[in-house]
Amino acid sequence: MTEFDISRRAALSLALAGMALPASAQPAAGIDPLLYGPTDPNARRGGRITVGNLVEPPAMDPFRQAADARVRVSVLMYQGLFFEDQAGIARPLLAESATPAADGKSWTFRLRRGVKFHTGAPMTSADVKYSYDFMRNPANGSPGAGDLSSVASIEAPDDHTVVFHLAKPNSALPMTLTNKYGAVVPKGFLDDANSGPRMNEISVGTGPFKLKQFRPNSVIVMERFADYWQPGLPYLDEITFAAMPNSAAMVVGLQSRRIDLGVFSRPQDTQALANAPGVEVHRWPSLDQKSLDLDCNYAPIKDVRVRQALALAIDKKQVMDASIAGYGKVIGTMVAGMESAWGVPLDQLAFQHPDLEKARGLLRAAGHPDGLDIELTTIIGYDWMDAAAVTISEQLKRIGVRVSIRKLDLGVWVRNLRARDMGFTFNDWGTVPDPSLLFFRHFHSVPAGADFRNWNNARADALLDRGQETADPAQRRAIYAEFQKLLAEEVPTIMLFSADKLTANRTRLKNYVQHGTGWYFGLAKAWVEG
Amino acid sequence: MPGDIVGQMLGQTGTDRAAEQALRGFFGLDRPLWRQFGDWVGATLTGDLGRSWYQGRAVWTMVWEAFLVTAEVAGATLALATLVGVPLGVVAGIVHGSRLDAAIQGFNLIGLSAPVFWLGLMLLVGASAVLDWSPPFAWSGPTEDLGDNLSILVLPVLSLALLQTAAYSQFVRGLMVEELGRDYIRAARAKGMTPFDIHFRHALANVMVPLVTFMGLVLIQILGGVVIIESLFSLPGLGRLILSGIQGRDYPVVQGALFFVVLIATTVNLVVDLLYGLLDPRLKP
Amino acid sequence: MTAFRLGLVLALIFAVLLLAPGLVAPQSPLALDPARALQAPSAAHWFGTDDVGRDVFARVVHGTRITLGLVTLSLLLALLVGGGLGVVAGFAGGWFDLALARLADMVQTFPPIIAGVMITGVLGPGATNLVLALSVIYLPSFFRIGRSAALAEAQLTYVEAARAAGFSEPAILLRQVLPNTLPVLVLNFVIIFPLALQIEAALGFLGLGVLPPMPDWGAILEQGKNFILVAWWMSLWPGLFVLASALAMMLLGHGLRARLGR
Repeated sequence: MTEFDISRRAALSLALAGMALPASAQPAAGIDPLLYGPTDPNARRGGRITVGNLVEPPAMDPFRQAADARVRVSVLMYQGLFFEDQAGIARPLLAESATPAADGKSWTFRLRRGVKFHTGAPMTSADVKYSYDFMRNPANGSPGAGDLSSVASIEAPDDHTVVFHLAKPNSALPMTLTNKYGAVVPKGFLDDANSGPRMNEISVGTGPFKLKQFRPNSVIVMERFADYWQPGLPYLDEITFAAMPNSAAMVVGLQSRRIDLGVFSRPQDTQALANAPGVEVHRWPSLDQKSLDLDCNYAPIKDVRVRQALALAIDKKQVMDASIAGYGKVIGTMVAGMESAWGVPLDQLAFQHPDLEKARGLLRAAGHPDGLDIELTTIIGYDWMDAAAVTISEQLKRIGVRVSIRKLDLGVWVRNLRARDMGFTFNDWGTVPDPSLLFFRHFHSVPAGADFRNWNNARADALLDRGQETADPAQRRAIYAEFQKLLAEEVPTIMLFSADKLTANRTRLKNYVQHGTGWYFGLAKAWVEG
Repeated sequence: MPGDIVGQMLGQTGTDRAAEQALRGFFGLDRPLWRQFGDWVGATLTGDLGRSWYQGRAVWTMVWEAFLVTAEVAGATLALATLVGVPLGVVAGIVHGSRLDAAIQGFNLIGLSAPVFWLGLMLLVGASAVLDWSPPFAWSGPTEDLGDNLSILVLPVLSLALLQTAAYSQFVRGLMVEELGRDYIRAARAKGMTPFDIHFRHALANVMVPLVTFMGLVLIQILGGVVIIESLFSLPGLGRLILSGIQGRDYPVVQGALFFVVLIATTVNLVVDLLYGLLDPRLKP
Repeated sequence: MTAFRLGLVLALIFAVLLLAPGLVAPQSPLALDPARALQAPSAAHWFGTDDVGRDVFARVVHGTRITLGLVTLSLLLALLVGGGLGVVAGFAGGWFDLALARLADMVQTFPPIIAGVMITGVLGPGATNLVLALSVIYLPSFFRIGRSAALAEAQLTYVEAARAAGFSEPAILLRQVLPNTLPVLVLNFVIIFPLALQIEAALGFLGLGVLPPMPDWGAILEQGKNFILVAWWMSLWPGLFVLASALAMMLLGHGLRARLGR
């Protein structure tokens, strides 16, 4: 297994993407066959499966619950207007087509007909307007509100059309209206103060599966939604997500046929399954990144030359081998899953390959002929960071940088991050496959962005603004290429690698394609044999 | 205290103060700490444990559901430990000083020394390697699917029961040895009573009283052990509820569950005291 | 008394490991070497290596100091504070005694592990909070023992005699009562030790104990559980060490109890 399982499919979808781009301009005819991944012509209906789940969602509310564990499962029950295809294309999901106005300041979405909610009611434009209005109002406490801050108003001229009016053009709007936060739910549902808890008992989305039972700390059961709008889908009758205590139990469960599918958080954990009969292990490219973040206000690394020196002393491959046993892909400035669509080749980016002489020179020029002391932060519970921290402190020692490792509780770490006081730290985060959604919030200066690293770079701001406003794909690509070169040059972050997503399944489960986010989209098109 | 629920909910999604404030207000975290606690005590006194911050469900319901799981595990463990541990202890007591006694004592010491979670882990791996078997990890209650329910309980109960069996056996052995050395037993023996009568009519009868007290202790011990074993085997009981509540900073749930645990422990102690009075003739009025 | 001797020998071995782990395991318990990750036990690495290439033997041996050291420290604290308060309360009586006894009752209502999870969970993991939790949990036990021993002593004739001879109350407490209650407190220390050790290891296993990369036995087990199917050696040895040290203290406890006639 040297190549990704997805490579062939990715190539296919990229080719299709080339035809479909700009996705926005042409109304797609019928239903996109690549929604939720490729379709298997041999697929048959029926069957139940058990999926081992290593992280449990605390609650099911897609509007107010940010936990990734919630997103993983809720994408099967709730839908946004678009599907975030891994290749960076927003495929129309509940929308049928998307048309931006000439000035880019409004988008008109035609809605799919014949869509029903799990409640039985038909979906109309009023529901769409209601749902997105709820989400973008910060007082409602949705973590997705920030992404919709450019929306000025939403209008529903007829039952099957909604128009989003924007304060400024945003070509990433379709990708924003995907499935991470929020969803289209029946109008009025969220008015009830008890609506959040209600969603732990019933699902009110439009997705292929509906909630049958949610027992926190234990199981989530979803059943096939008979009135689902994609003809023939989904194939599975029922999915049980079982909370797994640890990855060893997951491996045992797969071997003994108790579990049909497991997504592993650490690639090494699948080693025990390499020769297990009846179990397949797959590697998939990821949209997540393991990175080193550099707070540009943190005294030792305030000088850009010091940051560049650090970048030049780090051997990313060695760090990856040490921390995830090599099960991943070294990256430059783009997560592995989006590399082919949006990345800049590593040899065109500055400071990607170790050069100790140059690094020492930069440190001297910055006034540190004898090196310097620095504190490197790791987060408790993220195992890969421990090995990475030791490896990096060894690497930095070679240019006279003395590292002391500080371990923080996740809660404290998040508080520091939100206070924009992150220092020199490891980070582990994911994205929806669009460069604007990947970069804007993290790197645009305040107040438009969050600028966690206090980079505050005017050129970066200009590029991020233009990238968001430009509709033409080729131009966008050029803008983000320029941005990435700047990012590599200025080093507010050192993206180290993307760890592969590893899945293992019983062979009776067919056509499960793992999405790069780690979410369970693939179950909409998976089926069981016999 | 490191972090709160709002930080965990918002994560890296931005620094939008409005959303943060809205959420803080929603959870009542904007009030001073003493008022938060005061309100909780006040509500608890009226029988209202509040609602989970994450799930919005009434804490009473969650605690009760979790308790049923814990009660099943604890009950099965207690039953198994009593049924195996007491006879073992009685036998060891009767034959004390013999090889069999030494073997039973060896078993007791190992049982008391082995970490419960370690044992559970070894059992899980062992069952998979030797029997190609594992418990179904998705929980089902005894009324939903009894077969699955029992399969899930086997390993946790075994790993918990070893410790308690050893504790029982050790305790009962000590009592028996002491009781059999007493004057009245010697007198009975001299009078030519059968060993059966000596051991079971007299010695065992007198051992019953301390045994009941001990059972209360064991039950409270099991309640503690369940916390670890529940997270090792993903059982949705009280221990998991407390642990996940602490990790997610869902304080109404943590407070409610702890309140309930204390309630159980106090009840057990009370019942033991009452039984003690009933069983021990000397304490009768 | 062979069991007692076995306990003594085991305890001595652990004492050596605790005081001078470097003598037994010269390799570093912290040095990573990803190139030699997950190696099975061999002549070079007696207990194999872990997922980041650390020597498991060195980790387990050095872990003695962390695990047993912290338990010892916690129980010493509990003995000094709890035992001390108990002796004073038992000797002095009155409202002071009553208040402390009720407080001890309250703390003891919680099953120990639940109290441990609660304290370390809320305060956050780390050695300090762990020691705090363990000593709080076992304080009442020492308090009770100290109290009842002091109560018994206070009624003995020598105390009366000392009073009659004009000794002050603190002097009697310090010179007469305290030395006589010490043996029971020490015995309690030995009896509680294996229980506290189980709690310490369990908290480590739940990720609420000592922070990584410190080689605490419970923490090694926590880390090892994910690799148990490919590297059993990461989980077997620390578990056996917990078992053996608990066994040692239990055997010592039995022997001591027999010798003290209790």
